[in-house]
Formats: sequence, structure tokens, C-alpha cells
Amino acid sequence: MWGLGAEEWQAVALSLRVAALATLVSLPFAVFTAHLLARRAFPGKALLNGLVHLPLILPPVVTGYILLLLFGTQGPIGAPLKEIGVIFAFRWTGAALAAGIMAFPLMVRAIRLSIEAVDPRLEQAAATLGASRAWVFATVTLPMILPGILAGGIVAFAKAMGEFGATITFVSNIPGQTQTIPLAIYAFLEVPGAEGSAIRLVLISVGIAMAALLLSELLATRVARRVGGR
Amino acid sequence: MPPRASLRFAFLSLVLAGGIAPVAQADTVTVFAAASTRNALEEIAAAYEANTGDEVVMSFAGSSSLARQIEAGAPADIFLSANPGWMDELEDKSLIVPETRNDLLTNSIVLVAHDAQAPKVEIGAGLDLSAMLAGGHLSMAMVDSVPAGLYGKAALTSLGLWDSVEPQVAQAANVRAALAYVATGEAPLGIVYATDAVAEPGVAVVGTFPADSHPPIVYPVALLAAAQGATAADFLTFLQGPEARAAFERQGFGVTGD
Repeated sequence: MWGLGAEEWQAVALSLRVAALATLVSLPFAVFTAHLLARRAFPGKALLNGLVHLPLILPPVVTGYILLLLFGTQGPIGAPLKEIGVIFAFRWTGAALAAGIMAFPLMVRAIRLSIEAVDPRLEQAAATLGASRAWVFATVTLPMILPGILAGGIVAFAKAMGEFGATITFVSNIPGQTQTIPLAIYAFLEVPGAEGSAIRLVLISVGIAMAALLLSELLATRVARRVGGR
Repeated sequence: MPPRASLRFAFLSLVLAGGIAPVAQADTVTVFAAASTRNALEEIAAAYEANTGDEVVMSFAGSSSLARQIEAGAPADIFLSANPGWMDELEDKSLIVPETRNDLLTNSIVLVAHDAQAPKVEIGAGLDLSAMLAGGHLSMAMVDSVPAGLYGKAALTSLGLWDSVEPQVAQAANVRAALAYVATGEAPLGIVYATDAVAEPGVAVVGTFPADSHPPIVYPVALLAAAQGATAADFLTFLQGPEARAAFERQGFGVTGD
């Protein structure tokens, strides 16, 4: 279809799978972290904030190399995980891990802003009526920050689709395993005469990104309308 | 400081600096060189600077990126490429001085292992690479674009090993990244330049690919058409002299021509 070769389809399907896994798995962690940063005071808060933002500041290649050292099969985290059968290095799950880490700060920032915009008195009111902390979060805070979660999720998904530096450093470029759209575009551009394949992939990624953004706008308007009660 | 005064100040500092420096007219040579030549060239440039008082500015990257930058008008005087193809491209576009072009260095590709005790092997058609990998990955630079990967794929293909090992190849963005996968133990084996294996203590060479299994690996050097002044030509001569030759050989390069 659309003149795409097998290798190109493989890259598109793999990118969608990687970005979806990265977004879904990191979302609960991002909500938790954003809530911590927005609502709690605790020692080491500045440190946590810095750590969360690190992938945004470090060159992606450095993040990828750190991931390789930590989560590689010889690394301090990767070695014990390997014992229980979880291997990231040179696997598509590793590509998802890299994409998730790189997208995490963007997700946390969007969700944190929406939590800070919630009037704490609403939460306090629920608490005085006997609701537990978790119940307050689930019934009061969560519905109000849904647009923020949605926005964070979409931005993270888009970032995960486009992640290049950390991915190629951590899991290398294996067609069908770790060769996502950006890696395939890079590989095609380096080969004389493969510009056509590269351009087709560029158009597809533009299409996916636009579709994701339009969808998020649509959902955000709907959710905002429902939350606002208009 | 008002603009006039700051100008005067800048002029004064220039005059003072010129007066203090031992050589009144220190010249600058800009060299664009393949990343794999970094260690040797830095040593050579330091020696040249100490001898002449001139300054050598060097930019190291993949030969393809450097060639594209030169095509785009980057102000370089000398280009040392890891691949004749990119030099041909610059020659076709009349961006080099053709009579200064020569094949300065040769290199070879080797099979490296993470395990320092790995037994040495004879690399030939009978080599059972899959068994040596034991389910792990063979780390290489990208096999369709990066020179080190192209040479490696050519060698494996001519030995009839490529088809069996292809699914286990992990392609890194460049040869140094491929080396890092072996050095960290992520991949048990890798294919890199002999010079990279010298530079990395975390890997052991288990065998060298026969020279006739892949196209000859030569590094052409040339003066660029845009080069100005005699210093650039002087440094090019120095690169071919005995002092430079010793430095290149220490890093594992072969030096051609006599």
C-alpha cells in the first residue's frame, strides 16, 4: 500500500508499538510524580525535579549511553532483571524504555501544570466530608486534570515516535527489532538512491503526528467542556 | 565603553599580543579528518605546533558529514577521509587540488571480543560465527552506509558467512558506538577497525579479516582547493613525514608510499 516496502512498514508498525508502550507504561508514573511535585513538600524535592528533567537537558546520546550502562545485560539494573527474564538491550522493549525516559519530563510537566491549576480547597472540601486521600484524588483531582493527562500523553507519544539519539545508542539499529521510523529515515538517507524511502517515511510520520495532535485537540475540548459543566 | 574606545582597546591588545608572541605571524591550518584518525592526528598536530608555532585546528567526524560540510563551503584546508568515495566526490566537484591527493593510510578490520581470554581464531569460510556468538549479537557499524560496516559486510559476504549471521547483527550509528557495545559486554563480538581495537582496552582482538576479503581500506588525504597560504601545504608534507608515520603506526594504521 502507498508503495511502501516491507522494511518501511516494519518501521512504521514498530514505531507505533514502541510509542504506545512507552506512553501507556510511563503515564501512571508521570501522574504520581507530577502529583508529588505539585502537591507535596518533602526533602529532596529539588533533586527529584532535577532527575525528572535530566533527559530533557542531556544530549540524547548520553541518555542512551547511561541506559546502556544501567539497563544493559551487564548493568547494575539490567543484570538482575535478566535473571527474571526481562531483557532490554537490542530489543524493541529497550526502544520503548528509551522513548519513555525521553518523553517522561514532557509528560510530567503537562500533568503538573494541570494539577497546580486545581483549586486545593475543592480537595480539602472533599477531605472534610470524610474522603480518604486516594478517594479525593480519584473523584476530585483526577477528573479535573484529565485534559492535562491527555495533553501530556499525546506530547509524550509524539516525542516517543520521534526519539532517535537515545534509541540508536541504547538498542542500536536492527530492522524489525529496534529500527523505528527515525532510525530507518537516518539509515535510508545515508545510502545513495534511497531518498524515496526516506521521504515516504517522513510523510507518514508527519501524518501520524498531525492525526495525534488533532485527536488530542478534539478530546481536550470535549473533556474541558464536560469538566467545566458547560 | 563607547564603541570607538573599545575598538582602540581591541587594537591595542592585538598589538600587544603580537609583540609578546615569539612568532610574529603565526598561521592556522584547518584539518577535517575522519573520526578514526583522532588519536594519531592530535599527537601529530601537537608536534607540528611545537616545531613551527603555527596552529592546527582539527574537526573530527564521519567522513560523509565532513565531505558534505566541505561541499557546503566549510573553511577547511586539508581533508583526510576514511573512504575514497567521498574524496572522489570532492574531486569530481573540483574542491580539492588533485595533484596533492594520495592514499596516506591503510587500515584493516578485526573481530573483537569482550572476553579478554577469548581464544584466537583463523577468519575464513569455515568460521562458525553463530556458535561463537552463542545467541548474542554481533556488533557492527551500520552495514549499508558507514564505511566500517560496509567493509565488514563485504568481508562476511565474500567468506559466505553473512546470510547465517545477518539476523544477529546489531548496527550502531558509527564504528566507535559498535566498539562500545563490545566494551560494555552487551555484544560478545564485534567487527571494528584494527585501530579502534588498539584504542579500547575493554576489547580483545580474536582475529583479523584477510585483506582480500574486502575492498582495500585506504585513507586518502588532499589539499582543498579553497586552502590559502603555504602553511597548509607544509602541514600536508609533515603528515607524510617520518614523525607522523611513527604516530600513525603506534595507533595501528598502515602507512603507504615511500
